[in-house]
Amino acid sequence: MSFVLSLLIAFPLLAAPLVYAVGRMDKRMGIYLSLALSGVVLLIAGYVFWDVYASTPAIGQYALQEKYSWISVSNFGLDYFLGVDGLSSPLLFVSALLTVLVIFGSRNIIDHHQAEYYSLIFLFEGAIMGVFTSLNLILFYIFWEVVLIPMFFFIGVWGGPRRKYAALKFIIFTFAGSTIMLLGFLYFYMGMSTPTFDIPIIQTMLQAHQIPVALQYVPLLASFIGFAVKLPLVPFHTWLPDAHVEAPSPISVLLAGVLLKMGGYGFLRISIGLFPNASVQYAWVFLALGLFSMFYGAIAALLQKDMKKMIAFTSINHMGFVLFGAYATLISGNYLGIQGAIFQMFTHALAVGSLFMLTGYIQHQAGTREIPLLKGLGTTMPRTAAILVLGAAAAMGLPPFSSFLAEFMVIAAGISASAITAISILVPVITAGYFLWMIKRTVLSTPEPGHEGHDMGWPDVAAFAVYLIPLVILIVASYLILSPALPVAEFLKELGR
Amino acid sequence: MIDYLTLTVVMIGATALLLPLLQVIKGRSENLPGYVLAVVLAASMVLLGLFTLNPSSVSWAGSLLIPDQLGGIFALVTVGVTLAVTVASFDFEKSTSNPVYYSLLAFTALGMVLLAYSEDLLMLFVAWELMSLPTYVLAGFDKKLRSNEASVKYAIIGAMSSAVILYAISLAYGLTGSTQISVVAMRFAALLSTSSQSTALASVSILLFVAGFGFKMSIVPFHMWIPDAYEGAPTTISTILAAATKKAGFIAAIRVLLAITTFYALTHSPLFTLANVFAVLAVLTMTVGNISALTQKSMTRLLAYSSIAQAGYMLIGFVAFSNAPGSAAASLGLTGTVFHVLNHAVMKGVAFLAAALVLLQLRRADLGAYDGLGKRMPITAFTLAVAFLGLAGVPPLSGFWSKLLLVLSVAYGPYGWVALVAILNSAFSLGYYAWIIKRMYIDEGESPEKVKEPIWFVVVFAVMVGLIIGIGLFPQQVINFVSGAVNSFAG
Repeated sequence: MSFVLSLLIAFPLLAAPLVYAVGRMDKRMGIYLSLALSGVVLLIAGYVFWDVYASTPAIGQYALQEKYSWISVSNFGLDYFLGVDGLSSPLLFVSALLTVLVIFGSRNIIDHHQAEYYSLIFLFEGAIMGVFTSLNLILFYIFWEVVLIPMFFFIGVWGGPRRKYAALKFIIFTFAGSTIMLLGFLYFYMGMSTPTFDIPIIQTMLQAHQIPVALQYVPLLASFIGFAVKLPLVPFHTWLPDAHVEAPSPISVLLAGVLLKMGGYGFLRISIGLFPNASVQYAWVFLALGLFSMFYGAIAALLQKDMKKMIAFTSINHMGFVLFGAYATLISGNYLGIQGAIFQMFTHALAVGSLFMLTGYIQHQAGTREIPLLKGLGTTMPRTAAILVLGAAAAMGLPPFSSFLAEFMVIAAGISASAITAISILVPVITAGYFLWMIKRTVLSTPEPGHEGHDMGWPDVAAFAVYLIPLVILIVASYLILSPALPVAEFLKELGR
Repeated sequence: MIDYLTLTVVMIGATALLLPLLQVIKGRSENLPGYVLAVVLAASMVLLGLFTLNPSSVSWAGSLLIPDQLGGIFALVTVGVTLAVTVASFDFEKSTSNPVYYSLLAFTALGMVLLAYSEDLLMLFVAWELMSLPTYVLAGFDKKLRSNEASVKYAIIGAMSSAVILYAISLAYGLTGSTQISVVAMRFAALLSTSSQSTALASVSILLFVAGFGFKMSIVPFHMWIPDAYEGAPTTISTILAAATKKAGFIAAIRVLLAITTFYALTHSPLFTLANVFAVLAVLTMTVGNISALTQKSMTRLLAYSSIAQAGYMLIGFVAFSNAPGSAAASLGLTGTVFHVLNHAVMKGVAFLAAALVLLQLRRADLGAYDGLGKRMPITAFTLAVAFLGLAGVPPLSGFWSKLLLVLSVAYGPYGWVALVAILNSAFSLGYYAWIIKRMYIDEGESPEKVKEPIWFVVVFAVMVGLIIGIGLFPQQVINFVSGAVNSFAG
């Protein structure tokens, strides 16, 4: 039996106390050590990603499985069960990549309690790896909850002036959502003829039509609430702008790049993967909600003056695509929707991640994030401005960034579900509109006299290249993500028939 | 062959009797009696552990005591908590009369050990009194107005609950002619088919047992004394009350009530069954406890109400058991109860001791003292945070597993709503637990200076936090052991 996935979870969790201990002795050493250790995690995640690509698991199968009995008492049993497929492997890889970049980007921004900060980052990373690899619902729930703890402290300790409010709002929203989700799981478990929490076993039962659709409605609704808060879906999104505005910018990268993916992953793996018949029946509702979120996020972003808040709403807009694409496949049978949704999660993590990190630099150097106050970045901070333009291009889905491909696939699947959804083409248009308007106001305007900016150094430019270059590579090598995603899409589509 | 249990009883009893003599030794080390008691209790734990691993099934002391594994678990838990309190008292209880303090602690421990193994109603009552009387004195040990008030209130309520239990015993004896629990239970079952008058009296007796034990178990509506007593008593003694004597209440209730339930439905009416009584009490207890905890301004009161709420979760196992004795769900539920008793003793014990340390060092018990505690007393704050997350049932800490077993035991069948209420309560309780954690780590305290954390407290904290996390990560062995003990008791 393989142990790579356990290593992927355990390595960051064990790194956390080590980083804390070293960080307490020497701050600089702590950061270097964090970078090195997160690099190791990235290598492991890269191996997992490559393994899933090279030996694409067959339809409904999971690679690198690990299964041990955790507890069993009376008629109740619980397994420690891990596995990956084409849905989770890109997310594992992008989470590990973002963690390295976040640690690098935090070195000048986080100026107090560094040891605690970096060790919490590893706790967060370990828990995230657990969320994306768990194939047992309770194990999944455990990791899902553990993620909340470091994020609560990230916002509450290192955040902006209203950090306490934002941290509490975040924890209340997400904890309420996940409790309802757990209730749904338990209801589902109790209704099954042979109760189990193991996802692959439930899916085998689903294929044999052993789980009636009547049992699926309640857990579908419950898990919808849990995942809709995380995604976030309008109207469950109100914690997100607050959390983003108050969080330090590296943490915003983790929020948007990793935490929101938990919602998208949950919809695909659990809402569709475990309650497929009910999902198919209500697919139109989810599709409409996704579409509404896309428009709402785009229009709300148009109205923001704070650059970071604008990007936060962009996230809502982009994550709407994930839901939209996933359910478009269920309706039309067109694989592009789910493939596009997985692709969109990957590209959004990098594109919006780079923009969030950039707002941190801009605030650090220019002292403000207010778009009307930022003038003439193109002349005062040319390198920053260039990256802002490139990041915005990636976010609005401009070729050669692969975000273009992801959004195109999702919209195409939507149109094959119904021609009316062609209206979704307007969303990238609005997105392009507000990004271009923002660039016009900040980059192309004339600087106010006497306003000297400090441009970013070349190491940071290199870091931003790491965000953006994979997006360019992936438009050519899109098969790296799309080919393992295909069996997932086929499986999820067939499950609900 | 040496009987470890006899040896334990004699050892603790002799220590309790001899400790006050240390009072007359001049120039002794001030902590000498504490060291003596700690060594004795540690040795007792070893002996009890050996005894529990290889129990003898024969009745002992003329069928007054039954030395089974279930009793062993409770004896270990209660002696363990007493040991933790003793060690923490090295720094907390420095008065010149501390030999008496430790002697009373030893008497309580002795009472709890005997109670854990009691198989006869009269033995149970004697052990109950042996456990309770010293705590009345200990609650007033501060000799301050608050402490004395707590002591008097606790003593009056305690005496009343003892009277209620005694009355229940007298009814049971009158109806069955025996004080042996297994015989009482069986004859109660026979009564059900005879006259309705005896049935009614038997029901009264059972309800009186519920009420009498309920006072110690801190079940709503018998909980009124709890917050005042916990707040007024020295905080180390509150630890004993919340983490040890309360658990002794649970073993008494398990021994008496569940034995009776195996044979007995409360009445012929489908509505007024013992399972329904327990279900209502459980739901009331957890809800009232949690809602009241949210509004408290002092740490000890908050912990007191949280302790009440946790008693509600523990009662869920009683619901599962009395609903279908002998079933898999009953065994799961009782396993959950005993497991939660064990976990709660550790979590609540360490939380109270942390509160005791804050009180000792900062001279404050209000929640304001906890602002910014993460910087001032990092070990204490971390301990409290782990204990609170465990109490809230956050996975993968130990409290999560026992709550999960409890919820699963009633999830199927007619008491699914109890499971639902328990989960909602658990989520709700995170509100005040997380609120305190937020105050400790995110809010700014009035002064940033470090506060000393005495070594003995740190040792106790480390052991107990290790237990919370260790049992949380590897629950299987403990669950196996508990469920084995439960099955040999109930099966």
